[in-house]
Amino acid sequence: MTGLLLPETLPAFVASFHVLGVAPVLAPTIILVLCAIAGIGTVLLLPSKREGATRAVGGVILLTAGLIFAALLVRAGAEFIQAPGTGMGVYFWIFSAIAVVSAVRVITHPRPVYSALYFVLTVFASAGLFVLLWAEFMAVALVLIYAGAILVTYVFVIMLASQAAVTTDKTGALAGLADYDTTSREPVAAAAVGFALMGLLLFVVFDRAQTVDPVPATPALQGTVQDLGHYFFQYHLISFELAGLILTISMVGAIVISRRRVATATGLLTDDVQPDVVHAPATPIEDNPHSIPVQGTENPRQKAYPET
Amino acid sequence: MSQLALQHYLAVGAILFSIGLIGFMTRRNLIILFLCTELMFQGVAINLISFAHFHGNLAGQAFVIFVLVIAAAEASLALGLVVLLFRQRGTLNADAWRELKG
Repeated sequence: MTGLLLPETLPAFVASFHVLGVAPVLAPTIILVLCAIAGIGTVLLLPSKREGATRAVGGVILLTAGLIFAALLVRAGAEFIQAPGTGMGVYFWIFSAIAVVSAVRVITHPRPVYSALYFVLTVFASAGLFVLLWAEFMAVALVLIYAGAILVTYVFVIMLASQAAVTTDKTGALAGLADYDTTSREPVAAAAVGFALMGLLLFVVFDRAQTVDPVPATPALQGTVQDLGHYFFQYHLISFELAGLILTISMVGAIVISRRRVATATGLLTDDVQPDVVHAPATPIEDNPHSIPVQGTENPRQKAYPET
Repeated sequence: MSQLALQHYLAVGAILFSIGLIGFMTRRNLIILFLCTELMFQGVAINLISFAHFHGNLAGQAFVIFVLVIAAAEASLALGLVVLLFRQRGTLNADAWRELKG
């Protein structure tokens, strides 16, 4: 069964790893220093009680580290490319710059809606990278599913859940934001761990001893929906069906999890739930004729809208 | 500058993954936490697609479809949970659920 699921090119893929025994393209110390600088910048840029000027300094530091890294990559690029790779280098740099910068903004912006919108930008830039890699169908699927479906759900939940959030009355850029949005948890430790991981990953990526021999792709065969469909139903049929099952189960699960149980006007519960499970903070509107008293709460003034 | 290798794309994927990890560890808003996991999914997807391209087969693209499926399932379940938790405590602060530490 497993032999059926493995592509035939796997032995060639494994054999394509070979040891050259030469120095890495980017020296580990350079990667380490850049990651440390970027870590300091990230700590300054993360949401906190600091003033805007300090955060701007953090942004400049982070941007400088990124630009130095990109420049080093461009300079070293000609050395470690043995076979002709893909062209269109300018678009790669543009798309990856957009992706990385907006990813940084996702984790550093104090307002959740802006974070979600910057994530949309990251998704679009990734879709651009996918197009550069001849994966047009995946780019379209990414935009449809992420930017179209998942992010709309996120923004919807942000709107829904941020209405009654307890806000600290502040003036300035952070006015009207909750405390948990304007402060970070352990920024120094998290940045240290995260950038240590990034440095290690980049070191492994640019370690020439682990270079993967690039196999020249045939663009005509790559990425068309027809080939992808053939591949799926040849090698991943059961997984494909299971993916549909997972989606169905998660949809049912989401409905079951977030269903609100309220009492009806006659005092009976809508289904066989016990009154002690009704502890939702209901809409506290007293004079709405459509609101219904919630049973099982200690507050007799709590009311809810009838929902099914 | 006109030639690109696998390493360029892997670097972008690694950077996105690490940024998502840092965000997951530092942010305290439940919704942003799940947004950061989606960011990590993006890095993984770029890795898979670039491997698919540079090895000339479609395995990476197929796995990105599975990544998208899991991301969609995770987003729906996680946001349902966030709505449930928000109803119980009235806050999105992850520290409000400290007693859940295992």
